[in-house]
Amino acid sequence: MLDASEGYTTEDGRKIGGVVMEMKNITLRFGGVVAIKDISFDIREGEIRAIIGPNGAGKSSMLNVISGFYIPSEGEVWFHGSKRPQMRPYEVARQGIARTFQNIALFEGMSVLDNVMTGRLTNMKSGLISQALWKGKAEAEEVANREIAEKIIDFLEIQHIRKTPVARLPYGLKKRVELARALAAEPKLLLLDEPMAGMNVEEKEDMSRFILDVNDEFGTTIALIEHDMGVVMDLSDRVVVMDYGKKIGDGTPDEVRNNQDVIDAYLGVAHD
Amino acid sequence: MSDQFLFATEVFINGLMAGVLYALVALGFVLIYKASGIFNYAQGVMALFAAMTLVGIMEGQVPFSHIINAIFGTEVHHFGWHVPALLAILLTVGVMVVFAWLVQRVVMRHLVGQEPIILFMATIGLAYFLEGFSDLMWGSEIKTLDIGLPQGGSFLIEDMTAGLGSDNFYGFFIDNLDIVATGIAVLLVMALVAFSQYTKQGRAMRAVADDHQAALSVGISLNFIWVMVWSVAGFVALVAGIVWGTKSGVQFSLSLIALKALPVLMLGGFTSIPGAIVGGLIIGVGEKLFEFAIGPMVGGATENWFAYVLALLFLVFRPQGLFGDKIIERV
Amino acid sequence: MAQMQSGAAGKLSLPALLQRNATQFGDSPAYREKEFGIWQCWSWAEAEKEIEALALGLINLGVNEGDFIAIIGHNRPYLYWAMVAAQSVGAIPVPLYQDANAEEMAYVLSHCGARFVIVADQEQVDKVIEVQDQLHQFEHLIYLDPRGLRKYDHHQLHEYSHVQAQGRAAYDEWITDLKTRREKLNYDSTCVMLYTSGTTGKPKGVVLSNRNIIESAKNASEFDKLGVDDEILAYLPMAWVGDFIFSIGQAYWTGFCVNCPESADTMMTDLREIGPTYYFAPPRVFETQLTSVMIRMEDAGNFKKKMFHYFMDHAKKVGPDILDGKPVGFMDKLKYKVGDLCVYGPLKDTLGFGNVRVGYTAGEAIGPEIFEFYRSLGINLKQLYGQTEATVFITVQPDGEVRADTVGVPAPDVEIKIADNGEIFYRSPGTFVEYYKNPESTADTKDPEGWVATGDAGFFEEGSGHLRIIDRAKDVGKMADGSMFAPKFVENKLKFYPDILEAVLFGNDKDRCVAFINIDLTAVGNWAERNNIAYASYQELAGHPKVLASIQEHVETVNASVAQDPMLSGCQVHRFVVLHKELDADDGEMTRTRKVRRRIVEEKFSDIIGALYDGSLQISTVTEVTYEDGRKGSISATLDIRDAAVASIATKLAAE
Repeated sequence: MLDASEGYTTEDGRKIGGVVMEMKNITLRFGGVVAIKDISFDIREGEIRAIIGPNGAGKSSMLNVISGFYIPSEGEVWFHGSKRPQMRPYEVARQGIARTFQNIALFEGMSVLDNVMTGRLTNMKSGLISQALWKGKAEAEEVANREIAEKIIDFLEIQHIRKTPVARLPYGLKKRVELARALAAEPKLLLLDEPMAGMNVEEKEDMSRFILDVNDEFGTTIALIEHDMGVVMDLSDRVVVMDYGKKIGDGTPDEVRNNQDVIDAYLGVAHD
Repeated sequence: MSDQFLFATEVFINGLMAGVLYALVALGFVLIYKASGIFNYAQGVMALFAAMTLVGIMEGQVPFSHIINAIFGTEVHHFGWHVPALLAILLTVGVMVVFAWLVQRVVMRHLVGQEPIILFMATIGLAYFLEGFSDLMWGSEIKTLDIGLPQGGSFLIEDMTAGLGSDNFYGFFIDNLDIVATGIAVLLVMALVAFSQYTKQGRAMRAVADDHQAALSVGISLNFIWVMVWSVAGFVALVAGIVWGTKSGVQFSLSLIALKALPVLMLGGFTSIPGAIVGGLIIGVGEKLFEFAIGPMVGGATENWFAYVLALLFLVFRPQGLFGDKIIERV
Repeated sequence: MAQMQSGAAGKLSLPALLQRNATQFGDSPAYREKEFGIWQCWSWAEAEKEIEALALGLINLGVNEGDFIAIIGHNRPYLYWAMVAAQSVGAIPVPLYQDANAEEMAYVLSHCGARFVIVADQEQVDKVIEVQDQLHQFEHLIYLDPRGLRKYDHHQLHEYSHVQAQGRAAYDEWITDLKTRREKLNYDSTCVMLYTSGTTGKPKGVVLSNRNIIESAKNASEFDKLGVDDEILAYLPMAWVGDFIFSIGQAYWTGFCVNCPESADTMMTDLREIGPTYYFAPPRVFETQLTSVMIRMEDAGNFKKKMFHYFMDHAKKVGPDILDGKPVGFMDKLKYKVGDLCVYGPLKDTLGFGNVRVGYTAGEAIGPEIFEFYRSLGINLKQLYGQTEATVFITVQPDGEVRADTVGVPAPDVEIKIADNGEIFYRSPGTFVEYYKNPESTADTKDPEGWVATGDAGFFEEGSGHLRIIDRAKDVGKMADGSMFAPKFVENKLKFYPDILEAVLFGNDKDRCVAFINIDLTAVGNWAERNNIAYASYQELAGHPKVLASIQEHVETVNASVAQDPMLSGCQVHRFVVLHKELDADDGEMTRTRKVRRRIVEEKFSDIIGALYDGSLQISTVTEVTYEDGRKGSISATLDIRDAAVASIATKLAAE
């Protein structure tokens, strides 16, 4: 397997760095139900890491553990080389982990630009008083943040809806706005919860291109969960496969594709 | 111009002024409702508490003097100093922030995710607790509040307008306090709008109001925002308390103005700041004009019920209010 | 020689004009582009520096005099600079249509033998790389937006800003060379080569000299009194001669500012923000805008709707006269002023026409109601007639002599003659040099005396001296009984209905005419929505009986109006069919500038034409289509054929 300290080079020649996040023996229980059972894996700097599995495999639960929405019953989360204490979701976000949601959680009443700007909130430092006086630092900060927001709006090609209230947008564009908001935080780790769910083929292709471009352009480390196998295999560098809360495979798309357990899980072989 | 018309105009202007005060109280409700979905029954009592605290601090009253004296057998009532109004207001703001933090810490935090009706009940409890607590802290006697706001009829306006009608028209009678209150209300609304639109805390507040989950995911602490919202509502309560307290004395009935805010909210909608203002003005003007025109025919005192009847009509024909979000039940 | 010197004040090339502008208008804005939500601006002095850096970079990369440099992308200042930088080093810029597919691109690139290609983004890079193997002379590709291109092999690939940086770094090394090359340019050296899409056959490379461009730009600018303070929005394809004349020729001659929109999707917002004073749009754009205004008015409140119609009726009555400076009654004038305050002004602002002083439309005939609508609002919209080979201008409408059915009087310095068969010929300083590597076509089009055949048939109107266009000369045919067959004439009348997008008339050598019709999905879709008519596709909507009935009504009204004209009354539509698909450039049925390729349509749908003539009531057909990504598929449909009432022939009436 891989050396923990060193990275590897992908097929297309990208250098993948050291471990950014490591999940150690994570178990998650809701009452008596076990959603995740003793799962370990890592995410490396600059890679696109996918977590896949059939519906109900525990993928979303895993993402919620990483982003702090769920607290694991057992196990440890290591981020940037140190063990993460129990954290609330907003504290996780402030550590530089941004995410999107499967069902889209945008601020519907705000414009696209305002939504993207909320992604900058954790990066804004000036106090209420200097903001009230709109003095030097606060103004410069607002301008700098707006610049970053605009770069992302440009990057994701949503200039034409900049001032449109999100509630009026079609589904596909909302997904893109949500990605923009997550990117605005300049995250160290970007979590995407079923980014292609509910999209048509063309929208899926667009989204795949954006995900690859984000990784390529900003070097963002991305972890995504998805149940559409085809899309994931093309996108990701390494894949974790989950089924019934357990990890049944972990490796490059090719390795995973040839893994008998994975094939069984996807073909629906009965569990005993 | 006929005198009748001038009288009506005077009533109209006075109605506007009264409406501003209603709007002021309603604003506090809207703020908390928008950000957390809680209908804060205690808003009126908060105004009472804020006004009492302000008076207490200004006059150098010893808080909880009754208990202290009862336990220790002492006779302390006053520190013997007077605090200047501006400083006292700042200190009171501090007290309201502490209060907001306590409410969040002790009550609301434990009720996250509960039904709205539970949260509403909690604020009713809070209201009664706060009412008793203020009495205990500052005593229950009626106090006068004077932070130097001008009062009494404006002679300037009276003189300027006296020539408009015939001899038995003496000019418009408009209370100086009402004029100042209007000014304060306008400033307050402008400040609130600037705060919510142009500061990062304001942006975070709007974000929380819109979607909790999304707000968390961009690193906004819900607790912090809620403390902030309760503080801002406390500040609005203080402003309302100052104006109403100056007008009619700081006493228990102050907490009842919250009941007047209800029809205002039904008119304007629970989620709209402009709605609270317009609603307040409509109620203010409506009830004064109604009393002026119809009151004498039905034996007067229409001001007591006019607002509620109007609100009732609105509930039937436009339940979301003039500016509120459309109520759509998703199945 | 004397004419040459005075004609352009001694400035004999665009790079020379650039030098003049950089000193004379140094601080006034030359280019603006909205990026990251803000209008970025370059003054003439700054633009000159940018162009110089790129030119030095191009020399550094090995561009020789006489090389062809292809330029592909949407309107961006950088790409306009690339054209002038290319000229500065003695190379010839060849702008290409950005939506051209790889095959079309390969043809043009290999035909001109471009050694260098400058493109906007990854999409265009991919297209060029795809056809790279077919291009023998191709060497280097320069791209503007680095996005997505990090992992590409950079042996032949260069980022625009790097080329500029290298140019700046090598300033001392190449600046003398650059100056020498710039000074060698004269009035007869090639300014640009533009490929015409052409309705038939392969595109032809039209070579235009500095004389062509500068003389045409100068004449047109003086004709409309354009100056350094004017503003235009550059949004039409850079490969089109009109954009070259407006955004480069006239901009360099007068020094006015060229504004580039943020993206194609934000065009309307950008138009509003810039508020151009000089504006060009094909009739289609004006049509779309009018449709969207009307739709919004349908949805508006009662009061607003009433006010709109009340004042628009008044505007229709007196607006055009006020615009033309004709005498109008005082009360009418006052009412128009009130209307301007309440309706026309705000409407012009939302449309982005608030500041337009001179507006043009051309390319196709514009519907009289559409034309009148804009003119009645007080927008000085005019028509011109031109083509690439003439460097745009053949005829123009002078202020105060504007009508929907003519294309104006000969432009300054343009001579026009009309041949016996009705074909229009012209001769002017804008007349093109040649078709590149195609002496036969050149000789066919331009005779030794310099007269160019337009291929259009038309006549000068008695009295006004305005030119009226009937149709393409080769499309004007004869029907079986010998009467004139002018399809465009009828098609345009049909297309003036908002719910008809396209119409194709057949009838050459036949005894009667039949027509294909495309409905306008926006207009008809909107109508369907308001009338609760559900539809899943274009095809379904196009076959809806109610749609067919309303189209039939239009056809019959048109027939009645065609019957009025004794020469053309034989062209009435006897039978028609509403096609199951939109005619599309991707399927070769139209040119990229959206002109119908008549012959291809005729071949492709021969079965339907057959059915139109044999009297059958229905026809089942299968049609091949090309999707956006190049894949092919087919759609099958059964189409209803309708008979239309024909008015009695006017000639007979006249004879009696």
